[in-house]
Amino acid sequence: MIRGAPIPDAPDLARMRAERHAKLQEQMEAHGLDGLLLIGSSNVAYATGAGSPTSDSGRAYLFRPMALLGRGAPSPHLFTPYREGAPPELTDEWVHPALYSELEESAPVIAEAVGRLVGAGARLGVDELTHPLAEALSDWEVVSASAAVGAAKLCKTPDELACIRAAQRINELAMADVQPTLRPGVRQTDLSARFLRRVFELGATGSCIDPIWQVMPATRGEGPWTTHGDVAFPTPTTDRFLRDGDVVWVDTGIDFHGYASDFGRTWIVSETPRPSARQRAQYQRWRTVVDAVLERCKPGVTALELGRAAVDANGGTKPWIEHFYLAHGVGTDSAEMPLIGTDLGEAFDERMVMQPGMVLVLEPVIWDDGAAGYRSEDIVAVTDDGWVALSDYPYDPFEDR
Amino acid sequence: MTISPGLGTLPEGGRVDFDRLRAERRRRLVDAMRARQVDVLLLGRPANLIYAAGVRQLWTAGARPWGPGCVVVAGTGRVHLMSTWDEGVPAEIPRSDLFGLSWNPAKTTANLKAIPGLSEAHRIGTDGLSVGTRQLVAALAPTAELVDGAPVVGEARSHKTADEVACLVTAAAAAEAALSAMVDVLRPGISERQLLAVAAQRLASLGAPVLPSQAAACALHGRLRRTLTDRAVGPGELVALTPAASFAGYEGSLSRTWLPAGSHPSPDQRDMARRCRGGLDAVVEACRPGTTGADLLQRWEKATGSAASAGLTVHGVGLGVEPPLIGDGVGAGAVLAPDTVVAVQSWVAGARGGGFLQKDLVHVTTEGPRVLTRFSSGPVGGDDA
Repeated sequence: MIRGAPIPDAPDLARMRAERHAKLQEQMEAHGLDGLLLIGSSNVAYATGAGSPTSDSGRAYLFRPMALLGRGAPSPHLFTPYREGAPPELTDEWVHPALYSELEESAPVIAEAVGRLVGAGARLGVDELTHPLAEALSDWEVVSASAAVGAAKLCKTPDELACIRAAQRINELAMADVQPTLRPGVRQTDLSARFLRRVFELGATGSCIDPIWQVMPATRGEGPWTTHGDVAFPTPTTDRFLRDGDVVWVDTGIDFHGYASDFGRTWIVSETPRPSARQRAQYQRWRTVVDAVLERCKPGVTALELGRAAVDANGGTKPWIEHFYLAHGVGTDSAEMPLIGTDLGEAFDERMVMQPGMVLVLEPVIWDDGAAGYRSEDIVAVTDDGWVALSDYPYDPFEDR
Repeated sequence: MTISPGLGTLPEGGRVDFDRLRAERRRRLVDAMRARQVDVLLLGRPANLIYAAGVRQLWTAGARPWGPGCVVVAGTGRVHLMSTWDEGVPAEIPRSDLFGLSWNPAKTTANLKAIPGLSEAHRIGTDGLSVGTRQLVAALAPTAELVDGAPVVGEARSHKTADEVACLVTAAAAAEAALSAMVDVLRPGISERQLLAVAAQRLASLGAPVLPSQAAACALHGRLRRTLTDRAVGPGELVALTPAASFAGYEGSLSRTWLPAGSHPSPDQRDMARRCRGGLDAVVEACRPGTTGADLLQRWEKATGSAASAGLTVHGVGLGVEPPLIGDGVGAGAVLAPDTVVAVQSWVAGARGGGFLQKDLVHVTTEGPRVLTRFSSGPVGGDDA
């Protein structure tokens, strides 16, 4: 249960949008904002529920939708080149032609729209700006929206959790079709081909990240040079052939109605994949770390306590890569708050207290120099009295059956 | 330069010379900085990082928040890159010019402060802004003025070198392969989602798994839609096929309007196709240096007899979509520059819903327009239409 409510089998998208709007209104009130002007892809989707085609950043910047929320207004205003993506409750009063925040010539039009819909001189939270947008807003008090939007997004509603679970399910079902093709001579891009075909057939609304099938070196020294001396991950996919015995770290993410999945597993390339005793031990240690974290995971526990539980379970050594984390959230972005174990430091982790509706993608790494390492990702949501799994995929070929 | 589009390398070289491509891009960028008296560029946009650094990084979709990922110093000509490893980083950027990814802005600021030539900069350009960018720039270079860096990079990027055109043609050929794969399976009952699945599979199996646009197919019963649906194609229904592919970051895309197997074009459909192609041809013919957006819009209106605001879209193409943008109420004052590449899209809506769409990539040269995409206009829009 999430604050007394169950996670539904299928999300009620209209209810989800209404609850998100209410949360943003609450945060605008709390942060003294008269309006919110959002242009980041995931923020616009969160604030309006509007769909837009998943695309490369260049296209997304030039043709980006914009959300404009006034404090106390019943709905958000949406400016979009993709009218068809607007949810049904956003009638013509709320949906407007695109405003091009990349273009100088649009600055006066944007200023006019903000003045008309939110009012002159208001205190406006923005998620980011372009130079033309900054010029358009020179008569407003412009402040960062990140505290307000971040607070709204941090704890998911039951419908949002249902979306994340659905995204993850699509991702996992596709992987069940990809994993059997992992044989010597297959290329990384062949795996992507199978994966992309299946995720779209299964209902994904987008592929948010070039699917990763990274072949891990046996030792750190054999891998790419890194600024910190630790392992390089993730590196992009190529047409590289996979060969017998390659240890492959898989990492993919797809979109389902604005919510991301995050799939991570370690696979072995072989006609008959059988991990060595050493590789099995890596997996066992990963399991031990995850179990230790989950045992403590419930509302009120700090991220610092969860991080310490992971380190203790790993014999005092930090079980994640230097530039990564033990866990991150997932939602409208594939990596968002809460973060556990980053270089933001212990004080940051101590302030991050688990609450119902938070999502954790646990991704410890058990590096075993000389025999590569094991990494998988499991997703849980914090519930009223513990946690519930949002991911469900086997650990083949490591699991004892 | 003869272009033999292919995704693999040849032992003798032969295809795109990437060393030369990167060197020319970097020279153009530093020249543009000097011409506009910008001492330092802080870049955060993925395409600009590729342009400045030649780096191959993990592709992610969407407009990401701005942050400094790459620093170009005009005085030293050096490019400093946020990258925790050297994989995907070209040899001209030494390890000493890499700084690691951090979640902690204070650490990133410290890394940036160590870059030679940054603290004494007079003018610093950024290609985006967050609310904190002004403070970041003040911390890095207390006396520097913050300026819009987008026009600087834009000026360098808009001109396409021969190697860049070869990349665009290669990407276009991959997009044509995806289009062909969709035509192969186009029959009544197939859904837009299945068509995208087929296009994506084809591109990835070619070795080009990045999908710059995931709007690949739209059954044209009503208005032109870009968001993905499960809608199935009906018999006799026109379908807009709009694939895009990426090669070394360069985007190739084209659009054709097709009928499912077993259907024959109606007189209405032929009429829409004729008007659509007439508008496209008129605009392509005018894609010459010096032509303004207003000229293009006017030519399209004259050729089609429709209002241009809803039917003509012209935008730059290179490392993805880029300015100028002409159409949807903007870009009348834009002027086409020589050696640029634009996508020209013509859309004619039918009186009873539906419509006809066609898009090609055009190389704007002093010798006149050169169409880079190649594909039949299909069963409705063919030359006999």
